[in-house]
Amino acid sequence: MKFSPTAPELLLIALWGLSPALAVAASITVRVGDESGIPVANAVVYAVPASEAPMTGKAAGATIDEVNKQFVPYVTVLRSGGAIAFPNHDNIRHEIYSFSPSKIFKLELYSGTSVEPVVFDKPGLVVLGCNIHERMLAFVYVVDTPYFAKTGSEGKARIEQLPAGAYQLRLWHPRLDVESPPRPLTLTADSNAEEEYALVLGPPPMSMQDR
Amino acid sequence: MFKVERLSSRIILFFAILLTLVEATSFVLVNAVNTRQARYTIDDELQTGERVFRQQLELRRQQLAQSSMLLATDFRFREAIATNDLPTMDSVLKNHSERIHASLMMLSSSDGTLLADTLSDIGTGRHSFPFPDLMRLAREQGQASAIRVVDGVAYQLVIVPVRAPLLIAWIAAGFAIDDRVATELNNVTGLHISFLSRNGGGWHQLVSTLPAALRAPLAEQLRNGAIETNAAVTLTLADQTYESRLVPLGTTDTDHVIAVLQRSLDEAMAPFSRLRTALFLLSVYSLLVSAVASYFVARSITRPLATITNSAARIREGDYSVPIETGHTGEIAVLADSLNHMRYGIAEREEKILRLAYEDPLTGLPNRLKFNAGVLEHIQRRQNGGGRFAVIMMDLDRFKIINSSLGHEVGDAVLKNVAGRLRDLLGHSGIVARLGGDEFGIVLPVNTADDVCDVAQRILRELETPVSIEGQSIDVGASLGIATFPTDGDDPSTLIRHADAAMYAAKQGNLGFVLFDPLTETERQDQLSLLSELRRAVERNELRIWYQPKIDLRSATVCGVEALVRWNHPQRGMLAPYDFLPFAERTGYIRVITQWVLDAALRDCGRWIVDGIDLKMSINISTRDLLDPELPQLLHRLLDRHRVPADRIALEITESSFMQDPTLALNTLKELDAVGVQLSIDDFGTGYSSLSYLKKLPVDEMKIDQTFVRNMVNDAHDLAIVRSTIDLAHNLGLRVIAEGVEDQHCFERLRFLGCDQAQGYFMSPPLPEDQLRTWLRGSHWGGGRGRGRTAA
Repeated sequence: MKFSPTAPELLLIALWGLSPALAVAASITVRVGDESGIPVANAVVYAVPASEAPMTGKAAGATIDEVNKQFVPYVTVLRSGGAIAFPNHDNIRHEIYSFSPSKIFKLELYSGTSVEPVVFDKPGLVVLGCNIHERMLAFVYVVDTPYFAKTGSEGKARIEQLPAGAYQLRLWHPRLDVESPPRPLTLTADSNAEEEYALVLGPPPMSMQDR
Repeated sequence: MFKVERLSSRIILFFAILLTLVEATSFVLVNAVNTRQARYTIDDELQTGERVFRQQLELRRQQLAQSSMLLATDFRFREAIATNDLPTMDSVLKNHSERIHASLMMLSSSDGTLLADTLSDIGTGRHSFPFPDLMRLAREQGQASAIRVVDGVAYQLVIVPVRAPLLIAWIAAGFAIDDRVATELNNVTGLHISFLSRNGGGWHQLVSTLPAALRAPLAEQLRNGAIETNAAVTLTLADQTYESRLVPLGTTDTDHVIAVLQRSLDEAMAPFSRLRTALFLLSVYSLLVSAVASYFVARSITRPLATITNSAARIREGDYSVPIETGHTGEIAVLADSLNHMRYGIAEREEKILRLAYEDPLTGLPNRLKFNAGVLEHIQRRQNGGGRFAVIMMDLDRFKIINSSLGHEVGDAVLKNVAGRLRDLLGHSGIVARLGGDEFGIVLPVNTADDVCDVAQRILRELETPVSIEGQSIDVGASLGIATFPTDGDDPSTLIRHADAAMYAAKQGNLGFVLFDPLTETERQDQLSLLSELRRAVERNELRIWYQPKIDLRSATVCGVEALVRWNHPQRGMLAPYDFLPFAERTGYIRVITQWVLDAALRDCGRWIVDGIDLKMSINISTRDLLDPELPQLLHRLLDRHRVPADRIALEITESSFMQDPTLALNTLKELDAVGVQLSIDDFGTGYSSLSYLKKLPVDEMKIDQTFVRNMVNDAHDLAIVRSTIDLAHNLGLRVIAEGVEDQHCFERLRFLGCDQAQGYFMSPPLPEDQLRTWLRGSHWGGGRGRGRTAA
């Protein structure tokens, strides 16, 4: 099972995603810090609607570049069914792999060539490594909701275009062993919920030669 | 405490002790240095060994870690783990384990669940990774390594993570530390290696390269002793000493594994003990060599010493004949030379002492000792075989006068001269000895009494030749006394005594020589008994004075008398002066007699003056009297007492009496002269007084000895002597008196010669005082003198 969206399709998905926001736009602003209040980046926040109603729209894709023997970005949030493109900006070969149960794959990236984007169709954490460069590490967090965001360097993330309704707000970070407990959240239209997290972070995950 | 007397032993002992000390000191030092060196070496070996040992372990650890990491990065393996493909995991693990020769490999999930194990089949059961602490350590450090005991076997373990890319599992790999490993380490380090573990209380031997017998003692030692790691410990295992280092290899709360690295001290010391043995043998050898060498050195010193000691012993025994020869040079030779000089000196002195003991140093003749011995020898020689020999005592006449007038040097020369003559004359046939003073002794074999006389005459003839000394001619005469063996005695003292007596008789009688006559000896005995009688004579008034008239030759009348003492001996009758005066003179008793005579004579003289008898009186004074300084005072007192004018008295002194001490005699004569008495020289012509001396004497008259006077008629020489004496006296202004006039012819001749006075039996013998008075009255010589008062 492979899903490889074409450029027009991606455009459609984007448009679809925008439309409800225009109508009834609720948003969640999340501030993530550690115990001492220092902003924590790369925290994945996502809201799961309480209703069983099927979610509309198609999953958006993402890109994880390889620059200087590093995955960029370090953390990627992806709606299940979305595909991630792995352009190789290094002039060396990479051999990306994942043994994560949600998505097991191996992808050889030769310099200067492009490969088909990889579709992640199961929610869950996918840890990406490179078989050649063992310190390369990236996380793809696949969620079953279109409402997600990732904190930036200020520790802020904003989930927009949320229809009013009840949600479970969830949070994951590479330095957390498990997701933090879901927070129930009810959004009204045109409202902006603000949530703050103070995380107890574990050690940074280690790759083969890195801590 | 023992004493070593012998020099050679002392030298050998000294060198032996010295060398032993040196050897012992060097032996101890070398041994100490060697032992310390061995310990240093062992410590060094142990430290190096430990370093090598640790490097080896580290090498193995790295090898394990690398190969484990290689497995951990294997994609398929990781895939198998990620996909939980247990059979694959298991097979890969086993496969890899074989490839890297690991003794064990385990695979554990990241949460500590054992996934695969090469040691045992896990099966379906769920097992936990057996080293959770190591896993914790690896989680912190990326990987971990340790030495752990599993089922009684020590393993060197490495734990590495498996990531995909995050941690998904742990690989544990281990090498068993078994005998093979221990042997390898032993080969590399050169040390004995033992691995021990402690689980709970005691230590358990895991593997060891030690001999099997020492393994249990090692564990025992560790159990008992405190364990000091990373330092050298000396352990004694079944009597063998090991320098040991304890290296801790892994420590948990419950588990200890240590490695014990050991080096046998005995083995390390082995080369040093060989050195020690060699050194000891060398010491013993050099001790022996030095003992032998010092023996020879000592002998080279003591042998000449022994030679010299023997020579000294010979000298002690009185044998001076053998010179000391050591055959050495240097100090020994100097010593021998000195001893030789000493030997000569002693021999010479001994000879001299012997000579002095038996020889008269002045004349070189045997002395009295030797003479006595010679007499004894002659007696012994003749006692068995018979035969005669003469012992002759000889005394020089007038030697005292020679000595005192001419000096001792001249006297000595005379003695030497006489000695030489005697020796030349008799030395070859007998013994000539000087017995002392002017006394000589001669021993001579003779056959008959004629022989003896012949010898005596030869001796006297020999001495007739005057001795010429420094241009002076000196007459020597001698008196000889002869005793003959065996008739005159058969022992030395008797023979010598009898010869002496005879000699005395000869001297007294002026006889030249006298053969011993037992009668002479009797007389001598009589003289001896006379001494006590003579003492009594004065006390008992047994002495008498007889007077012999002196006739003036010109008037042929009596002009004086000479007082002559007589001893009216109770048994022997009247004794003449020569029977007792010489004896009195010798004993000194003459002084008493002289005093008595002076007193008696002056008393008579005083009476004669009262009675009108006008006669001069001459009194004899002996030699001894002349040496009595009190005589002048005595005379003066007596003259006063008896009222006699001094000029009536003349003292007659024999010529020879001056000569004993001319100076003192001259003094006394001058004092007597000062008293006023007249002085007369008696017996002129028999002495040897020189005219120059005679000239100095304050004398008034001179008496010509009767021997000349008696022979004058027959002997022209005596006549010449008398005549020249008379002329001499007159020329000196002296009166001359002749005595011994026995006949008319002599009287007339004297008168013709111009002699002043005469006395003798022709005119009158000596008469007692009362008879003198009668003679004066009756004789034609009397001149009427006796008639005066007596008649009245």
